[in-house]
Amino acid sequence: MSVESRSLTDRLGAGAWYAYVALVALFFLMPLFSLVIASFYDGRFFSIVDYEFSLDWYRAALASGSIRSAFMNTVRISVPVTILSTIIGTGGAIAYTRYEFPWQEQFKLLALLPIFFPLILLGLGMSMWASVIGLGYGIVPSIIGELVWISPIVMFVVSITALGIDPNVEEAARDLGADTITLYREITLPLIKDGVVSGAIFAFVLSWNNYYIVSYLSGAQSTITTWIHGRMTQGFTPVVPAVASLIFYVSLLLVVAAFVVEFREESG
Amino acid sequence: MSTIDTLRGRVGAATESDNPLMALLRPPYVFLLPISILLLVMFVGPMLAIIVFSFQTGNAISLNPSMWTVDHYAEIIGGMVSGEGVYGDVLVNTTAVSAVTTVATLVFSYPAAYALARKIDRYKTVFLLVLIIPLFTSVNIRVFGWALFLVKNGVLDSVVTLFGVSNYPTMMYQRWTIILGTTYVYMPFMLFPIYLSMLSIEDETLAAARDLGAGRWTLFRRIILPLSKPGVIIGSLFVFILSLGADVEAQILGGGSIFTMASNINYSFGYSQNWPLGSAQAVGLLIITVICGIIILRTINLKEIASRGDA
Repeated sequence: MSVESRSLTDRLGAGAWYAYVALVALFFLMPLFSLVIASFYDGRFFSIVDYEFSLDWYRAALASGSIRSAFMNTVRISVPVTILSTIIGTGGAIAYTRYEFPWQEQFKLLALLPIFFPLILLGLGMSMWASVIGLGYGIVPSIIGELVWISPIVMFVVSITALGIDPNVEEAARDLGADTITLYREITLPLIKDGVVSGAIFAFVLSWNNYYIVSYLSGAQSTITTWIHGRMTQGFTPVVPAVASLIFYVSLLLVVAAFVVEFREESG
Repeated sequence: MSTIDTLRGRVGAATESDNPLMALLRPPYVFLLPISILLLVMFVGPMLAIIVFSFQTGNAISLNPSMWTVDHYAEIIGGMVSGEGVYGDVLVNTTAVSAVTTVATLVFSYPAAYALARKIDRYKTVFLLVLIIPLFTSVNIRVFGWALFLVKNGVLDSVVTLFGVSNYPTMMYQRWTIILGTTYVYMPFMLFPIYLSMLSIEDETLAAARDLGAGRWTLFRRIILPLSKPGVIIGSLFVFILSLGADVEAQILGGGSIFTMASNINYSFGYSQNWPLGSAQAVGLLIITVICGIIILRTINLKEIASRGDA
């Protein structure tokens, strides 16, 4: 009897933990739900009672020239940022995790510190700096600016994977006569591949969604996030939730993909 | 001989026999160079620029100025001390937002992190995914989502109308609305460090304590709390510095009527075009960020995180 009642309270207890985490999850999703609900509503203000479903705002978003050019600018920035930050960040991770060198801890501090900086501080500093060194504003300065924040994040993600690898594998390969190039192509890179792939996906999504850095460095060029911000603060139209939802759907797909890569690595 | 020794031997041999410039083309230097150059030029440089500009007069900005001044610091600190003008409000708002956000994220994250690490098995991946997705959605889009939720004729409005509630105080443009926004945006930075530190507590430790007669409260106070402390410290520092930088939250949820440090810095740069004054305010943020950032980086051990990844 006592055993049964204890298992019942245990089960109730476990249920309460699930309920609490579900509430937190609901809180996390609330603004994204609101966005998606608003994006399908046929009107400026909506009510749940006479909600009228409409795809018009998505059609308007896809047809608008200014939105299309903001979208193209976002792609022009995120694709190079993804490629470059993956190379730069993976390099930093390999150097930090697979070698010993002087000033190694100082290197770690410098290389990972930007992750902890409020983005407004990075954006402001870089925008003044861009005018001092003559870098200017536009697509290329935005790419360089985002690299400062995203490369360290890629380095962090890849380092975690790289530290999970047994260093003896590399040593064995050397003993069997592998030269440096072979070692990297055949051993090191395949072993950290999952970390690099999820690092690259995160890099793309973070660049795709970046607001602060591009708002300081992009000058006259607008990206999707700065376009949304401009419309949010002045001249709101119902097309804004649709555009915001579109960029959220892309992020959602990619984050799920990155999670699948990581999860496969853990169970395999 | 370990791998590290072997590699160090090779690097040493290379640097001794070859031109030192050629050594830069070998590992690890060839891997170190790109990120080091990028960060020295585009991260250290801009932060030094902020410091240099904060001591300049008027709007004359050059890297090598003839006039140095501490007027901006005097103006800001004087305003904060006397509580007069905008700086008094900014100090109160910023401290309120950052302190309350840190406490609120801690209170709500701690049980959730505990549940995720120790109580939840089924659908754990789904829960983690849901908690991670907002991190990868633009800050201003998420804050905009909250605005759509809270605003008059928004989602919340149409839900409560269903229950016959039509007269309630406005939810937007209050200090607590900004705090709701920052709590929402920075909560993952509290939740995940605590979650990782909870994962490191081994089941055997808890079982042993239970066998020795520890009750629930003792278990929590003597085992779980001390072992999760590193996560709590890292998370709190993280949330504190990041919410000091809350600008979009203040702009959109505060409606531009409540100024925080970040939004005031932004205002000094954007509208009043007073770069030195903005820089002087940014230096305060910079100093706090560097100190907290170094503490965080010295506390976290990447190797430990790597070994917990499979837990």
